[in-house]
Amino acid sequence: MTAARKLWAVLDIMDRQLIDRQDRFAGTVDDVELAVADDGTISVTALLAGPGVLARRMRFHRLGPWLERFARWAVPAESEDPARIPLGRVADIGSAIHLSLDHEDMATMATERWFRDNIIDHIPGSTDAAE
Amino acid sequence: MKKILSITLGILTAIGGFVDIGDLVANAATGARFKMALAGVVLIGVLGIIVYAEMSGRVAAITGRPVFDLVRERLGPNAGGANLIASFIINLLTLCAELGGVALALSMIASVNYILLIPVAAFLVWIVIWKMPFERMEEMFGLLGLMLITFLVALFHLHPPWHELLHSASHPAIPKNETPFTFAYYAIALFGAAMTPYEVFFFSSGAVEEKWTVDDLNLNRANVYIGFPLGGLLSLSIMALTTVVFAPRMISVDTLPQVALPVALSVGKVGLGLLIIGIFAATFGAALETAMSSGYCVAQYFGWQWGKFVKPREAARFHVVMLAAIVATTLFALTGVDPVKVTEYSIVLSAAALPLTYFPILLISNDRHYMGDHVNGRVLNFLASIYMVIIAVVAVVTIPLMIITKAGA
Repeated sequence: MTAARKLWAVLDIMDRQLIDRQDRFAGTVDDVELAVADDGTISVTALLAGPGVLARRMRFHRLGPWLERFARWAVPAESEDPARIPLGRVADIGSAIHLSLDHEDMATMATERWFRDNIIDHIPGSTDAAE
Repeated sequence: MKKILSITLGILTAIGGFVDIGDLVANAATGARFKMALAGVVLIGVLGIIVYAEMSGRVAAITGRPVFDLVRERLGPNAGGANLIASFIINLLTLCAELGGVALALSMIASVNYILLIPVAAFLVWIVIWKMPFERMEEMFGLLGLMLITFLVALFHLHPPWHELLHSASHPAIPKNETPFTFAYYAIALFGAAMTPYEVFFFSSGAVEEKWTVDDLNLNRANVYIGFPLGGLLSLSIMALTTVVFAPRMISVDTLPQVALPVALSVGKVGLGLLIIGIFAATFGAALETAMSSGYCVAQYFGWQWGKFVKPREAARFHVVMLAAIVATTLFALTGVDPVKVTEYSIVLSAAALPLTYFPILLISNDRHYMGDHVNGRVLNFLASIYMVIIAVVAVVTIPLMIITKAGA
C-alpha cells in the first residue's frame, strides 16, 4: 500500500458512528488529527469528535470555537480536550468505531448533558425503562 | 399470531407512507379525476420502495446502521446536512398534516370542530413516543391500521365493472379536461407518496430498535414483501372506489369525509365505523412515523444516542428534538392550514430530495467492508439503478411541474 492509499484508508473512517464502551452512541468522527513525521509519512494520531470540531470543519468560524469552549466547560474530562480521542482508545473499527472510553468524558456529551439536566429530567417518567 | 405481529413494522411503515392523511385524499382525488389511469404509477412506486426498503433493512440488520447514519457517512457533513434540513422540513410538514388528520378522524366521531382536537392528538402522539415500547407501538397501530381493508371490502361489495377498471389501468389515457402536466403532477405525487423518505428512516431505525441481526434477514423480507404491497393495495382500492362512485358523476374529491362516502354507500354504518378506526390508526401511525423520523434523522446525523430501547434520559437530545417537533407542528396546525394541502406539498418536496437518501443506501448495500457476503445481487442492482434514474428525473421535474400546474389545480 502506498502512503497515499494508506492515508485514504484511514480517512475512510471520517463521519462514522462512535460507540462507547457501554454500547452508547457517542457522536461521529467529525475530523481526524494528523501528524507528519520527519521522513514525510503522515499518520493519524487522534479522532476528533464534538459539535465544535464539526462546526470548524464546516467552516463556521465563530460557532466552532464557541461550541468547543462550551464542551470544555460542560464536560469535566480527565484529558484537557474532551473532543480529542487518542488512537489508543479506539478498540475496534468496523461499520461503527468502538471506543474504550466513557461517553460521559467526551465533548459529544456536552449538549446531551445540558438537555438531560434542564429539560428531560423535569418530565415525569424520564427514567422509566422502555421495555 | 406471533408471525403476524413480527411484520407489523412493515405494515405500520407502509400504511404511514401510502395511506396517511394526504394520500387518502390524493388517491381518492386521482380516482375521481383520472379513473385508474395512474394505477401503474402506484405499482412502480410499490416495487421501488420494496427494493430500497429491503436494502435499508438488510444494512440495518447486518451492520446496525440505520439510513441517516449512512447518509452522513457517505455524503459527509455538507451534502448530508442539506439532506438533513430537507428531510427534517418534510417530516415536520407531514407531522403537522397528520396531527390535523388524527383530529379530523376523531371529529368524524366526536362532532367537535377538528381544530379543537389537534392539541389532544398531539398530546396522544407524544405520550405514546414517551411511554410505549417500540414493539407495542407498532403492533397496536399496525394492526388497527389494517381496518383500512374496509376500503377493499367496500369495493368488492359494490360489484364494480372489473374489466373497465383493468382496462383503464392498462391503457392509461389523459382525460379530455386534463393536461399532460396535471397528469404528470399527480403521477409524481403518487410515486413520491410510495417512496417518501421517512419510510426508510423509520423502517431501518425500527430494525435497530428491534435489534435485528443477520439472522433476521427473512424477517426483513417478510416485512417488506407483505407491508408495502398491502399499502399499495389499499391505495389502489381507494382509487378504484372513487373511479366507480365519483368519476361518472364528475365529482371532485378534496376532503376526508368525501373519501369515506363511497364506503358508507357500499357497506353502511358498521363499515364506516371500522373505516374511521382505520383512518385514525393510519394517520396516528403516520404521525408517530414522522415525529420519530425527525428525531432519528437529527440524532443519527450527529451520532447522538437515540431510540426507544433506552430510557428517555439516556437519549435526551433525541427526545427533545421530537418534543420540539410536536410542539412546533401543533402550533402550525392550529393556524387552520389544510392538512391535505400540506401533505401534498410535502410529498412533492420529498420527491425532490429522494436521491440524497436513496443513493447512500445503494452504495453501502454494495460495500463488502460493511455487508460481507450480503451485498446486493446483480438483478437487484440492475433494478435499483433503474430506480435511481427514475428518482433523479423525478427530482429534477418536480418543482417546475408544481409551478406549472399550480400544485395540480
